[in-house]
Amino acid sequence: MTAVGRYWVPGLFAALFAYPFLPVAEANRGEQFTILFVYALLALALNVVIGYAGLLHLGIAAFFGIGAYTVGILTVPFFPFQQSFLVAALAAVLVSALVGIAATAPTLRLRGDYFALVTLGFGLITLYAIRNLDAITEGTKGLNPIAAGPLPGVKENVDLSALKVGDDWGARWYKYPYLYFVILSALGGVMLLLRNLERSRLGRAWVALREDELAATCMGLNPARLKLAAVAVGAGLAGLAGAFYALALRTTGNPQAYDFTLSMIMVCCVILGGLGNRPGVLLGTLLLMGFDRIATNLLDNWLQEEFDLGGGAYTKVSGWKLIIFGTVLIVMMRFRPEGLLPEARHARELRESDDQAVDSGQKEK
Amino acid sequence: MSAPLLQVQDLEAGYGAIVALHGISLTVNAGEIVTIIGANGAGKSTTLNAVCGVVRARRGTVTFDGRDLTRVPAHEVVRLGLAQSPEGRKIFPRLTVLENLEMGAFTRRDAAGVKADIAKYYAMFPILEKRKHQPGGLLSGGEQQMLAIARALMSRPKLLLLDEPSLGLAPQIVVQIFDIIRELNKQGMSVLLVEQNARMALKVAHRGYVLETGRITFTDKADVLLNDDRIRAAYLGEEGH
Repeated sequence: MTAVGRYWVPGLFAALFAYPFLPVAEANRGEQFTILFVYALLALALNVVIGYAGLLHLGIAAFFGIGAYTVGILTVPFFPFQQSFLVAALAAVLVSALVGIAATAPTLRLRGDYFALVTLGFGLITLYAIRNLDAITEGTKGLNPIAAGPLPGVKENVDLSALKVGDDWGARWYKYPYLYFVILSALGGVMLLLRNLERSRLGRAWVALREDELAATCMGLNPARLKLAAVAVGAGLAGLAGAFYALALRTTGNPQAYDFTLSMIMVCCVILGGLGNRPGVLLGTLLLMGFDRIATNLLDNWLQEEFDLGGGAYTKVSGWKLIIFGTVLIVMMRFRPEGLLPEARHARELRESDDQAVDSGQKEK
Repeated sequence: MSAPLLQVQDLEAGYGAIVALHGISLTVNAGEIVTIIGANGAGKSTTLNAVCGVVRARRGTVTFDGRDLTRVPAHEVVRLGLAQSPEGRKIFPRLTVLENLEMGAFTRRDAAGVKADIAKYYAMFPILEKRKHQPGGLLSGGEQQMLAIARALMSRPKLLLLDEPSLGLAPQIVVQIFDIIRELNKQGMSVLLVEQNARMALKVAHRGYVLETGRITFTDKADVLLNDDRIRAAYLGEEGH
């Protein structure tokens, strides 16, 4: 492995930690980055299920939503609970993991297709439940405001756009850069946690299961339980991402934020980055969601200023966004199916010629 | 003689509407090599899979070491001392040789013992040590078969189930694999061997069973079967004398 390959992840984290101190830093950009970190957490959660255990999960957004609304219910004044964010986030992880287990446990003894269908259906049901259970979720208004955060000394209702770096850190403490650091640290922590998980007995067992379920069973591995573990870890982490999402926005927002499109885009992030490869998934999410949330707006503004094309959707990059996503995915699948940063074992899986695959005892997919 | 290590009685198993085994019975005593020979589709692999729980028995019993296995889930069977090396050398192609061996010891908690066993099988199969950091899928067919056998042994089984160890291997490699089986047996390992290569299997085994379309049609000492005219004609490719 080259030096770049070995050190780019710590380097990236160091650069991101340094960003708020740089003269070019902007509060609004920092907040956009914060949301990107949340999505990176969500993609890493999905990667546990798809990349590690090899189960196609099409409803990760539901667990993102369950995490966000758990935090909402436990912290907003609308409900009598009024817990701190730390308690609420822990509850979000547990609730999401338990719901994940309950929703998918019956499918794990069946073929993989059923798992994909059940997660897809569960995602849709959850979205409609959130939207229509007005008495609990406040429908499209969303639950707000979310808890004032675990640390004291936080001022609220600060006009962020008026602030530059160096001004009044105390006033800015609550959202940016405070939340920026909290969520970036959580992302770093989850990266380390997942690295240890990959190297653990459980991580090794997932690889064996993905490679050959029959042989793994003969070695004494319990396939149903291993898959359930992946689903629970994935759902729990997605719940954590949802908790941070609600915290960063200070509201659970519009239920549309937890719809099927998000589940699909997360699958795209995982595939773009490299199935099963942690740093790859991180990079894929930052690129794809960065393009989605930040670059398209910048490009739109630039095009308007330079060329004055009028306001039609076809003159904006944002109008072509989904076509660009689709094209990128097709190009990736054709020329680099293992993703930008392939996980070594997955790469071998995808690049092997068919006869080698048969020769090495590869099971039919 | 004490009770057999493995006793299969009146075992029926199948897939959906297809019945693959119509009530077969067989025994393996401790220290024996027993072989099941038969043509493609006779139900040999199904027998092994039903013994170790991958395929559920519909009728009959499988008693191993005094315990009924018919209700034990497949992943628990290995803990009871029954290890299978599945057909087609189902090694983990993208795990390294060493990782494959460690996977075979998944149910064990004694790290030192596992390490010692890995060293033992490296000594028995030197090629595996030479290639310990290579992915299993890059090994040759014979090396993969050695890895599959070593991996099965890593669980310290009382009985080793081998499904078609000669499948797709060159003749001199087949001889080598059967030498290994004989050597393991000399060290005390009991083996249930399923084979299409009837001649090699009967030469190494103590006793044999002939399986035809889900029924056992002959059983005897291996050398008797090897000299039986009907067996010679049907499975050894020779004219009856």
